[in-house]
Amino acid sequence: MSVSFLDRLGETATRKLAARSSRRGVLGRMSAAMALAPAFPLLPVARADAASAPAPTLSDFERRAQSRDATKCNYWRHCAIDGVLCGCCGGGVHTCPPGTEPSPVSWIGTCRNPADGRSYVIAYRDCCGRDICATSKDCHCNTADREMPIYRPQASNDIIWCFGTASTAYHCSTAAIIGQAS
Amino acid sequence: MVGWSTKTAWRAAFSAMLMVSAATAHADTPVLQAEQNDVATLPPVAPHWFLPATAHTAYTIYDGDAGRILGTVPASSLGNIVLSPDRKVFYVADTIWSRGDHGTRQDLLQEYDARTLKLLREIELPPRALAVYKKQDFDVSPDGRWGYVFDMSPATAVTVVDLAHASVARTVDIPGCALVFPWKAGGFSSLCGDGSLTNVGYAGGAEAKVTHTKPFFDANNDPIFEQGLVDRATGRALFVSYSGKVYATTLGQDPVIGAPWSIQQAAGQPVAGTGVQDLAWRPGGAQPFAWNRASGHLFVLMHVGTYWTHKAAGTEVWELDPVAHALVRRIDLPEPARGIAVSPDAAPLLYSTAENGKIATIDVRSGAVRRTIEAQAGPMFLVPDM
Repeated sequence: MSVSFLDRLGETATRKLAARSSRRGVLGRMSAAMALAPAFPLLPVARADAASAPAPTLSDFERRAQSRDATKCNYWRHCAIDGVLCGCCGGGVHTCPPGTEPSPVSWIGTCRNPADGRSYVIAYRDCCGRDICATSKDCHCNTADREMPIYRPQASNDIIWCFGTASTAYHCSTAAIIGQAS
Repeated sequence: MVGWSTKTAWRAAFSAMLMVSAATAHADTPVLQAEQNDVATLPPVAPHWFLPATAHTAYTIYDGDAGRILGTVPASSLGNIVLSPDRKVFYVADTIWSRGDHGTRQDLLQEYDARTLKLLREIELPPRALAVYKKQDFDVSPDGRWGYVFDMSPATAVTVVDLAHASVARTVDIPGCALVFPWKAGGFSSLCGDGSLTNVGYAGGAEAKVTHTKPFFDANNDPIFEQGLVDRATGRALFVSYSGKVYATTLGQDPVIGAPWSIQQAAGQPVAGTGVQDLAWRPGGAQPFAWNRASGHLFVLMHVGTYWTHKAAGTEVWELDPVAHALVRRIDLPEPARGIAVSPDAAPLLYSTAENGKIATIDVRSGAVRRTIEAQAGPMFLVPDM
């Protein structure tokens, strides 16, 4: 990759700024930006574009997915979830259990609903502020359709997605519909 | 009444005889002495030691030959551990809260003496990245001078820790990139979302030199696993993609990246595709790779599955010669495993963690299971040197 003069200039300026400025100040501003981020779902739009390409065949998860019981790992929205289902912990598929706080940011999956054959963008928001929910092993899920490494963080499900919450302790994960993907 | 008296007399006599014989027996053996409580220390780190992440509370030190616990290094399930290159200290990078699940967040680099396991120093860190089971979140330079801690807030950076002075030297932003892979000397590289490496040269002071490679892997369609391996002694790295392509790389300010080769092709199997119904042998798991320093061989946890099964447990371990691009042997596992490690020596032991937390220790050359240990283990291991 040839790096242009402008890229170099921009990077040098950014690094000098970063070296001089206070990280905590930046963190504070970023936290505010993160709190507002769900109002502007830019990434789901990007994912929707990507997902609009015709899917020739279904993945193993999609072939076996069901749309009746949201407290099971094979529930269709859980195609790329890693963690404990909040529905097994006093919450629901888009509800945090009492005493916990939803993370304003999340990782994103694109899952197919077998009931209507449509694909939806799913925000896997973690519920934070309590230690991990002690539920049955059946509620510990680790699925990976379109799941990416941590250098593609928006599609990476090993990260503790408790950014911008009062506490970053991980309790459980939800799977809220953001919109239709195709 | 008479009968009762006689019976009682006999009983008394019999009891007296027993007491005499017991006293005689005791006279032959020394009286047990009072004891002082003491504390064990460890021998020097041995090649067959391994440290699985256990019970979300620690890395437990096992002697792989004896199959027994030697000691415990505390760490949460988000903690990372590194053995210093001189094997004298264990470093643990961890995150705690002052009141358990809330309060003041504290990110720490903790230094434990490898003989006594005493906590020697604690270095305060900026907020670390919090993600489960990634050894590549933290490493130490081969000369033992610098610690590299991956940060995510969610902007990504690496904190460089001056281990000689127990202080943070500086933080280097690595936008769009993640994890740390140390060079032989003078810096580290990170994997990037555009399929490239970013390379951070740092030898102290204020300046860090940052370079980027050209994209060399397809991050959209066949990304490289996070769990790439580095031999710190040589600065050589092996990165493996979801479909099983190996990219041998010599890390540095300008990394040299070899042409990729296929694990499956090396084993005489069909190359794995990236279609969601392409059934093939594939690498997978939470710690799917290991590298034996004595032979230079790569060990890969393999399963039969379709694309997007990169987290699935493996049923076999394939030993490969990454120079000859050739399969050495396939090792059957006693039960599917999510993580593996291999000892660094010429008589290697393979460790595999099953989903139920049991660890099998396997003689690599014979494939025989030596032991199964109820370890309450997660799928991440530390072994000496690698």
